[in-house]
Amino acid sequence: MPALECKELCKNYGRTTALDRLTFSIEPGRIVGLLGPNGSGKTTLIKLANGLLTPDAGYISVCGCAPGPQSRKDISYLPERTAIPIWMSAKQLLDFYGDFYEDFRRDAAEEMLAHLNISPSQRIKQMSKGTREKVQLIVVMSRAAKLYLLDEPIGGVDPATRDYILSTIISNYNPEAAVVISTHLIADVEKVLDEVLFINQGQLVLQAGVDEIREEKGMSVDALFREVFKC
Amino acid sequence: MLRKLMKHEFRATGQIMLPLYLILLVTAFGSNIAGRWMIDSQISAVSLLGGFMVMAFAIAIFAACLMSFVLMIQRFYKNLLQDEGYLMLTLPVSIHQHIWAKLIVSVVWFITTLFVLFLACMVVAYNVRFIQEFFGVFADILRGLQKLKISEALNGTVIILEFLVLIFLFLAAFSLQFYAALAAGHSLPNHKMAYSVGCFFVFQFLVQFLGTMFLIGLSKSPVFRFLSNWDPSAIVAIHTGLLMMIALVLVYGAIFYIVTIFFLKKHLNLE
Repeated sequence: MPALECKELCKNYGRTTALDRLTFSIEPGRIVGLLGPNGSGKTTLIKLANGLLTPDAGYISVCGCAPGPQSRKDISYLPERTAIPIWMSAKQLLDFYGDFYEDFRRDAAEEMLAHLNISPSQRIKQMSKGTREKVQLIVVMSRAAKLYLLDEPIGGVDPATRDYILSTIISNYNPEAAVVISTHLIADVEKVLDEVLFINQGQLVLQAGVDEIREEKGMSVDALFREVFKC
Repeated sequence: MLRKLMKHEFRATGQIMLPLYLILLVTAFGSNIAGRWMIDSQISAVSLLGGFMVMAFAIAIFAACLMSFVLMIQRFYKNLLQDEGYLMLTLPVSIHQHIWAKLIVSVVWFITTLFVLFLACMVVAYNVRFIQEFFGVFADILRGLQKLKISEALNGTVIILEFLVLIFLFLAAFSLQFYAALAAGHSLPNHKMAYSVGCFFVFQFLVQFLGTMFLIGLSKSPVFRFLSNWDPSAIVAIHTGLLMMIALVLVYGAIFYIVTIFFLKKHLNLE
């Protein structure tokens, strides 16, 4: 059963088309780069998978379920902005995730927080923007989910933090799950990807394995992206 | 899941409301001291300080009432329609559970605020004779109740319960009107808060307009003729009146509940 599947998926914002008959599927056990220029529909697709938006036409499913409370048990979602409540302490945030997600691995989260020297009693609002983003990533990656949807996890952070984020993703995800990483910083994520989806103006341009691209086209994903989306 | 949502909602709101209640009780105690020994003092500085302490109590009353109201709106807005919405609305819970959690917690704080205000007023007015008189009134009531027939006691209890249910439902329905306005206003791409305020006034106008139309319609209906010719006892009239008001408030709340659910489910538009 695909971890994420779309069939003829359409979404419009007024007269603007965000997604246009998008069809693809992502199998479990794959790390997939959802790649496209700004405004190509990446975030809209992730919001639709989370049920934060309703499609205008077509079908989207997560592990065989339409978006809803049931499918959200299977998804671990990292939004593009910091969404964790800043009034909470780190410990209260772990309590919160532990209460709502049966697959939350509290020990893994505590270990990662300790590695960053974050005290459980420290409040989120006392942390820097970068630390908040790391804490959010830690709780998201501490779940043994079936599908990880990571929206711009390395956008707007320094190169050292990018490395930390990518290593956290790689060393903590459930190997039986699919990981979708939406980004346009391809050079940084390319090394961890199994597969890429290129989308532009809401349409699927390419779905291929990273090794396949390198062998058949003789270029890196970054180089191919630059060629496909040349202005 | 509703219980867990409520637990975290109480945690979020309690950190604001509980210190406020503490301030209210402390300022009430200060007002009591001021009233006994300070305001009538010959030393003007002490008298002035007493005046300030009474003023602090008045401000604390205002703050507690205002905050329980502001929190009801702010929690819905910030927790579901702003950045936190990305976390909350992707939890494995339904929109219905989110609304109920917010609604129940808001109403609990409204009722707690009323209770703490009553307690604070008792603290301000406290002296031994006052408390003796106050509980003396209770003793009189209890003695009076012993003389009542069972049917009268039962009716009295039910009327009090009906009245409490009416207050509880009205507070919940009034909160839902705010939720519906915020959800509708935030479904639009720009100027979300301005549209939310606009939606609230449109809803208010519709409630008043439709309410008036309903009363006009009722006055021309067979129900009104029946009620005009009906000659119930006072107790039955009170029961009927309260039950009719409960039914109307239920309809009022249900409409805004449906509007809120509709916009959050079908037209959610987080930035």
